Amino acid sequence: MRAVVPLLSAATLAFIAGPSTPPEATAPSSRKPSSQRPAATRFLPPEVVYRAFGLGDLDGRAEDPAQDLSLPREFYFSRVAYTSYGRSFWRRGSWATDYPKADQIFLSFIDRLLPNLDAYEREHPVRLDDLEVRRFPYLYALEVGRMALTEPEVEGLRNYLIAGGFLVIDDFWGTREWANFEYQMQTVLPGYQIVDLPLDHPIFTTFYEIEEILQVPNVRNGVNRWQTHERDGYVPMVKGIHDENGRLMVVINFNTDLGDAWEWADHPYYPLKYSTYAYEMGVNMIVYAMSH
Amino acid sequence: MQGIFEFFFKFRPLLFQEGDLAFASPWQAMAVLGLVAALAIPAVLTYAAARGDTTPTDRAVMACLRLGAVAVLVFILFQPVLVLTSVVPQRNFLGILFDDSQSMQITGTDGVPRSDFVQRTFGAEGSELLTRLNDRFALRFFRFSRSVDRLRSVSELTYEGTGTELGEAMLHAQQELAGLPLSGLVLISDGADNSGQILAESLLPLQAAKVPVYTVGLGEEALSPDIQVSRVEVPRSILKGTTLVVDVTISHRGYSERTVPLLVEDAGQVMAAEDVVLGGDGEPVVARVRLEAEESSPRIFQFRVPIQDGERVTRNNVREVLIDVVDETEKILYFEGEPRWEVKFLRRAVADDENLQVVVLQRTAESKFLRLDVDDAEELAGGFPRTREELFRYRAMILGSVEASFFTQDQLNMIADFVSQRGGGLLALGGRNSFREGGYEGTPLAEAFPVFLDDEMSDERPFFAELYVSPTRTGLAHPAIQLGGKAGEEVTELWESLPPVTSLNPITRVKPGATDLLTGGSEVDRTSQVVLAYHRYGRGKVIVLPIQDSWTWQMHADIALEDQTHETFWRQLLRWLTDGVPHRVAARSEWEVVEPGQAVDLSAFVSDSAYVEVNNGSVVATILGPTDDSLDVPLDWAADEDGRYDATFATSEPGLYEISVQATRAADTLGAARTYVRAAPSVAEFFDASMRGVTLQRIAEETGGLFYTPATVSSLPEDVSLTGAGVTLTEQRDLWDMPIFLVVLLSLIGVEWWYRRMRNLV
Repeated sequence: MRAVVPLLSAATLAFIAGPSTPPEATAPSSRKPSSQRPAATRFLPPEVVYRAFGLGDLDGRAEDPAQDLSLPREFYFSRVAYTSYGRSFWRRGSWATDYPKADQIFLSFIDRLLPNLDAYEREHPVRLDDLEVRRFPYLYALEVGRMALTEPEVEGLRNYLIAGGFLVIDDFWGTREWANFEYQMQTVLPGYQIVDLPLDHPIFTTFYEIEEILQVPNVRNGVNRWQTHERDGYVPMVKGIHDENGRLMVVINFNTDLGDAWEWADHPYYPLKYSTYAYEMGVNMIVYAMSH
Repeated sequence: MQGIFEFFFKFRPLLFQEGDLAFASPWQAMAVLGLVAALAIPAVLTYAAARGDTTPTDRAVMACLRLGAVAVLVFILFQPVLVLTSVVPQRNFLGILFDDSQSMQITGTDGVPRSDFVQRTFGAEGSELLTRLNDRFALRFFRFSRSVDRLRSVSELTYEGTGTELGEAMLHAQQELAGLPLSGLVLISDGADNSGQILAESLLPLQAAKVPVYTVGLGEEALSPDIQVSRVEVPRSILKGTTLVVDVTISHRGYSERTVPLLVEDAGQVMAAEDVVLGGDGEPVVARVRLEAEESSPRIFQFRVPIQDGERVTRNNVREVLIDVVDETEKILYFEGEPRWEVKFLRRAVADDENLQVVVLQRTAESKFLRLDVDDAEELAGGFPRTREELFRYRAMILGSVEASFFTQDQLNMIADFVSQRGGGLLALGGRNSFREGGYEGTPLAEAFPVFLDDEMSDERPFFAELYVSPTRTGLAHPAIQLGGKAGEEVTELWESLPPVTSLNPITRVKPGATDLLTGGSEVDRTSQVVLAYHRYGRGKVIVLPIQDSWTWQMHADIALEDQTHETFWRQLLRWLTDGVPHRVAARSEWEVVEPGQAVDLSAFVSDSAYVEVNNGSVVATILGPTDDSLDVPLDWAADEDGRYDATFATSEPGLYEISVQATRAADTLGAARTYVRAAPSVAEFFDASMRGVTLQRIAEETGGLFYTPATVSSLPEDVSLTGAGVTLTEQRDLWDMPIFLVVLLSLIGVEWWYRRMRNLV
């Protein structure tokens, strides 16, 4: 279980020494396209999502020649670009909280924690109303307290989950945000119950042995050693939604912020125990999703 | 035709075949030749000297005609005779064998059964044929069906025999009449042998003893109109819930292009139905029926075509097969070298299948393994099995994307032995560390794979291909790749409607003897790459599926949520993978159905946990009959084969016999097995019940006898006299008075006269 600790410590030292390692440099695979590769991409490039949401051109990263967006990889850390109430001060919807740094840092650690996993090294936003979303059986969504799914998104997510997709929810706090999320989920999956996942659930032991559900604070609270909760979200919980056959299809990390811990794992003042827990949960959720 | 021959040549052709030509003239040959010269030379000289208005051609023609007439006269003067060897009347025996099987009850187009000939010819007072036979031979009667018995009178024939064993009948009669002067055997039958024996082997002793067999074929060579369920091919045992694709061969005469229903029934309940369009007259058609066996028990399935109007034989429209539907869990080890979606979706696809247990061992990181669906904490605790006992407990193995260097050489050998010696199934999946990309070239597994790994790459870049999949012609008929209850062309359409999958392994060639079931390629040419192929390897089979994302068939946007393609594919594939994999103890009877009272030959095959044959075990079979009486039968080791134990037991009542075999060695239990035998009256006589003229002719020809039908059998007594064996004498028959000589003589003289008239030479 503690194998992640020295790794995180090393990352912290690297942060002190200089800029974090760019994801491209840590790519485990150098696979290049062959002549038989299809000409047209069937994946949803991030820049498409960006433009669709009026977010510009991804700061030029889409033109990076080292990346081949058309070649399929086994695993994509796909962030759900959902519709939300209003817009935050940085113009993006709530889906883009901590984006893309959290995803990039997380993937760079996954590359080392799960070296056998053929993971796409970059952030990978997807839209729920895009039919191609079913090509990515692992989705990550956060700040769902402001989620306001459109009808096509509702239908897309419902079909995705029933077909066999896996959704991880993170970083929403308190009664009010829970109520919104619960409402959204009832719209997507009417009649499906949200239940607590006990600590003896396999998701807590699939790779790392997790013995306690921690409340992971956001970076500001964590670095300043302030309270770990936000609003009235005092008790961290891991909940789930199962399909009709008892298969777990949604994991809900409530009253906790794994994403910030991933993003700021290389911050020298962010508490190691939260980053450790966040990465252990992150790895466990990936391995669980890919095997159950 | 024979009558015309006999008119001109005085005797039947048979006599000329059997006899030798000789001359009985008392004159010396030189005297005759002198006489010939005396007649011929003056004639020739006369013609040569004569002139008048004749041309040289005229003289030559007339000289030839005249010489021909002289030659005929001279031939007659030599007194030609036919020297024949014939049996001595009343000094020889003749065995007459009557077919006493049910097929003799089949009626002809005139409504008269085949047996009528026997009763009329050999049972009636004053039968001419019988009288003539009696005049020449001492007759001995036999009846035969599955057994052979002496017969005092044909009135004892019942025509209730449930089988016909021609070879056994002839051998038995020959042996019974051995030591007697035997002229031959007369075999009266429709020739429909259903013994399963090779007829040629039965004929050898008869040929050696020079006993001719005269065959009399009864019935028609083509029963029309008639429909017959000729063949149903099913395994004797299947796993509960398995979808069977059964090939049913239906033959017919007289119902060309008619559409008939084929019904599959289980205890009166219709399990499947398929409309079958019959082919041309006499052309069999193969109908394919999908069948699911849901209830675990020995089931008797009936494959039936309803009786059509005017059918000649109605009891050949149904075939019954016994299938033991087994409710057991097939344990499969899936070893995966990396986190992959295939693991999740494969498990998901077969999760509802109670008869499949996929134990997953997944390497999630270096030396870190995830175990799923293990039976206990000990199972696979040390990672991939290191001993044969540990690996061989599984019935099949799925090898995911894991590099060959992960395994020790012993483990690689063990996996190959898992297939070749233990008889397990191996399924190798594609991936970035599979096949050649995983370094398997030169390993024992490369030898076990049904495909070549040495395909040349066009460049050094890693291979990647998007594959649109299509079934091969062989694949269309294979149960593992049937989808959605469809068959034939619909299977092709379903496969070709699926979204493309991808492959990282360039595999394009199957090995000799291997079979590819699915191929893939561009949307236009779907044959460039192997997608699913297999072959037998030793006792087991190896299947390759060199694609990396079959889960696309579950998650692609084009796949409807309720679509079961992915689930069906994996369920069928894994069931096929474990199908036929031997258990440590197996029981088998020689026949699936026997006659009530018939003995059953039973064999058990016993091996230990490493699947090494055990010869010093103690094996007992408990036979539970239809009346719930139980019998313990010990089996003895058959010295000619390691691990095989044999026994025989007799059935009594009709019904199902459950055979439970227990094998032990010292205090250790080696295992148990179960099989079934059904005792029921056979209806084999009503299948392929047309008269087998070819078979009967062959018997006659190879033994020196003759083939007859009721229309030609009247010459049988004389023919046997001339061609038969036994005590014989030689006789001569004059040929000089054959009408043909007179005809030829008159013709030659007449032609010469006509020629003269025509040339004005008279």
